[in-house]
Amino acid sequence: MNRVHNTKIVLWLITGLAAAIALNRFVFGLGATTNLNDEVPWGFWIGFKLSWVALSAGGFVIGAIFYMMKREKFHSLVRIAILTAFLGYSSFVVSLIFDLGLPWNIWHMIIYWNPHSPLFEVGWCVMLYTTVLVLELLPVPLESTSRYAAVRKFLLKFRFPIVLLGIMLSTLHQSSLGTLFLIMPRRLFPLFYSHIIPIEFFISAIAGGLLMLAFETLALHWMYRRKLETDLVRLLCSLSVWILGLYFLVKIGDVVLEGKVGLLFEGSWRSYLYVGELLLSTVIPFVMFVVPKWCANRKVQWIGTSIGILGVVLNRIDIGGFAMRDATLWYTPSWMEVVLSIGILSTAALVFIFLIETFHVWDIQPRDPEALAHTPPLFDRVSGAWLGNPKTSALTRHTLAFVISFAIGMALISGKKLHAEGIENVTVRPASGIDTLCINGNRDSQYVEFPHQAHIGWMRNGKISSMTLDSIHYVLRTGADSCLVCHHLNLPGEKLSICWECHTSMYSEVDFFRHDWHASSSGANLKCDDCHTPGETRTAQTARKCTGCHPSYTFADTAGNGADAYFIPSYVDAMHKLCVSCHTIESRVLKDKPNLALCSTCHRTGTPPGLRAGMKWDVTLPRFDNVVLPTPVPGVK
Amino acid sequence: MSKAILTDVTKCIGCLKCVEACKEVNHLEADVPRVWDKNDGLSAENWTSIIQKPGDHYVRKQCRHCLEPACVSVCPVGALHKTEIGAVIYDSAKCMGCRYCMMACPFGIPRYDWDQTVPHVEKCILCYDRIKEGKQPACTESCPEHATIFGDRDALLKEAHKRIREHPGKYIDRVWGESEVGGTSVLYISDIDLDFLSYQTRPVDMPLPKETSPAMDAVPYAFFGMGGVMLGLSWIIKRRMKLSEEKSKKEDSTHE
Ligand code: SF4
Ligand code: SF4
Ligand code: SF4
Repeated sequence: MNRVHNTKIVLWLITGLAAAIALNRFVFGLGATTNLNDEVPWGFWIGFKLSWVALSAGGFVIGAIFYMMKREKFHSLVRIAILTAFLGYSSFVVSLIFDLGLPWNIWHMIIYWNPHSPLFEVGWCVMLYTTVLVLELLPVPLESTSRYAAVRKFLLKFRFPIVLLGIMLSTLHQSSLGTLFLIMPRRLFPLFYSHIIPIEFFISAIAGGLLMLAFETLALHWMYRRKLETDLVRLLCSLSVWILGLYFLVKIGDVVLEGKVGLLFEGSWRSYLYVGELLLSTVIPFVMFVVPKWCANRKVQWIGTSIGILGVVLNRIDIGGFAMRDATLWYTPSWMEVVLSIGILSTAALVFIFLIETFHVWDIQPRDPEALAHTPPLFDRVSGAWLGNPKTSALTRHTLAFVISFAIGMALISGKKLHAEGIENVTVRPASGIDTLCINGNRDSQYVEFPHQAHIGWMRNGKISSMTLDSIHYVLRTGADSCLVCHHLNLPGEKLSICWECHTSMYSEVDFFRHDWHASSSGANLKCDDCHTPGETRTAQTARKCTGCHPSYTFADTAGNGADAYFIPSYVDAMHKLCVSCHTIESRVLKDKPNLALCSTCHRTGTPPGLRAGMKWDVTLPRFDNVVLPTPVPGVK
Repeated sequence: MSKAILTDVTKCIGCLKCVEACKEVNHLEADVPRVWDKNDGLSAENWTSIIQKPGDHYVRKQCRHCLEPACVSVCPVGALHKTEIGAVIYDSAKCMGCRYCMMACPFGIPRYDWDQTVPHVEKCILCYDRIKEGKQPACTESCPEHATIFGDRDALLKEAHKRIREHPGKYIDRVWGESEVGGTSVLYISDIDLDFLSYQTRPVDMPLPKETSPAMDAVPYAFFGMGGVMLGLSWIIKRRMKLSEEKSKKEDSTHE
């Protein structure tokens, strides 16, 4: 099994999936991609990418250890560490592009300053530090050509101040990322909120950075099947023990000094989250690495570093949007959020692999054993017969992986209008009652009463006082003032249509023309030409109107004026349009009923008095219970 | 002169005229429930809402126009701005959509156009343009009961205290917005507790930007401090290495 190759395939698969989601993000917006909402406007994306910055801290830590403290042992790690940092920060910025609502304005930070904002400071630091990393990294690719030797020499000459600047900038933004959350004492759960978040962030970033480097070294050796320089990993792990210990003390100290111990044992999911995070990010890796014998064990190294990294990630995600003070503030990230984030990391990993295979970043320059150059198909030299293709090249397989998973991603994304507009698909529930309808399509705490009699009486100027079958038909058939105003008589068989039978969705339009049924042999069994004029492009506009076959359909829009006419309005829109337009006119005409057009005239709360005994009245959707729909103004009729 | 709104919860009858007026002057569209709504009636299309509390109490929710607004202090590009008049206004041309303002606001006010591909932050702007023209905000103008009124902040504060004094027992003896988070330009007097309007049950009086400022003030110290420490460290280590080298050289020479 070729580990390098398989790893790459997996990475390409994830990247393809993420590319589809990235497209979705820009075509349909944030609401269609994430589960973020007005209550939790930051979530998984922010938290997760904060952890990338933390795990990139190896770049400056190794810089400090190697260049400042002259620990030569770490030499082989320097370039890897800087490359990791560079890719970590680049991923951060790329991911920001998806996260920001208006990413094309990101450069505004350069021209519009707000020095009070921690985010402003972080932004600048990240910009500068990424530049520094490029400067630190540039000599590596320049090695391969002698053309830019002068530039390279120049950069190397200033290496010390550049590294120093990098360390200073890192100190700043690693902690400032914590400062971001200082303004949210009202939002964050007290266990997570602390006045020393910046310090905690800084320390945990150092630990995380070291563990990440150890993990990377392990992974690289595993991938390229090299014998492990256990010593180096052991060195990193035993170094991180100190930092992990310090981090633990700082965290526990904060909890104790701020009197938050009680919360630890509160038993809510947030306290479990905190304890779990504490275990993962400090206690477990600390215990694993503090014993020198364990520290040198390969398995322990694998597990310990993974757990430590997981802990840092969990910490950032918790603070970035999950650990809310209010237990009801909770959101579950959408699968697209998760996959897009992981996809960005996969891309970064692919770039990483490409760079270490192309340049001298690591102490060796590894090769992908299957990175075959493309070879043409084989032909028999004499007859010219095709002998078959050689093994598909790695490139082909990677492209294939990307394309296939991109397609799967596209298929998985629901591109519906509804989904993009965040409208919940609430199916309309029928009204109850006959003489007096109790209308409550979404079964919330408000209802509308519709007394049939009053309305019919009004329509026919009080001439009809009791309804007989004859009179119903009479009313149905006569003019614009008839029952047809509400009952459009649009259903096949000229059935007296009931509102909720067609307006099936509370808040969104529905497509009512069932093309498949009309064309199917088990349905209307029509030929194309029955509706479409032969020779013309077959569209909804050019097709025969509904009234062509169903002459009794009366509602104007049903005539099929344009494709839109096949969409019938939402229940709410239909009701409002029907009632409000008449009520508005009548409220002006009828001097004794000035309040006819007020919402409160129709909308009521509670249980309708007109409900017959035994009729079910289930209020199942308490949405907007908090919010008032108007109730009658006291003293006004 | 700093302007303000005073809302008297006891007078509000929940007729929603203010909500309608706000929608009209700010050209907000009709809204339907969206999956990302918070259950308080505010949305990208509703900058003010009426919250009903048991016992026919109606509380109008809107941006509080804090005197030291958290949202303004955190916006990295200065898209939010506290004006002289007291309104906290929003410049959509500057915004980059980081939503930090939404996270920072202690009252959870700013909303987002989640369904848009060019989304903006949406919140009450105290009808800044109307005030500048010498008019009052649409919501206060439309209130039939004068439950929500507009005026100078000082005058309204006096009025609030006067009402509380003159009707003993009617109000809770507190003007919401007088001192919370450093004071706000939207004031409330009420006969029910209004702390539910903010995230924390009892908001402290310290302005939120003050939570960040110690850390922000420490920035130059951290920056140059770390630089100093690193320089010092590297100097010491270099010197030590040199010394030990010299020493070993000396030892070498004595051996010869
Ligand atoms: S209430 Fe919120 S949005 Fe309004 S000014 Fe204060 S911090 Fe800003
Ligand atoms: S979302 Fe816009 S207004 Fe809000 S903090 Fe970010 S840049 Fe400023
Ligand atoms: S002040 Fe203006 S923007 Fe604010 S709620 Fe009133 S009408 Fe709306």
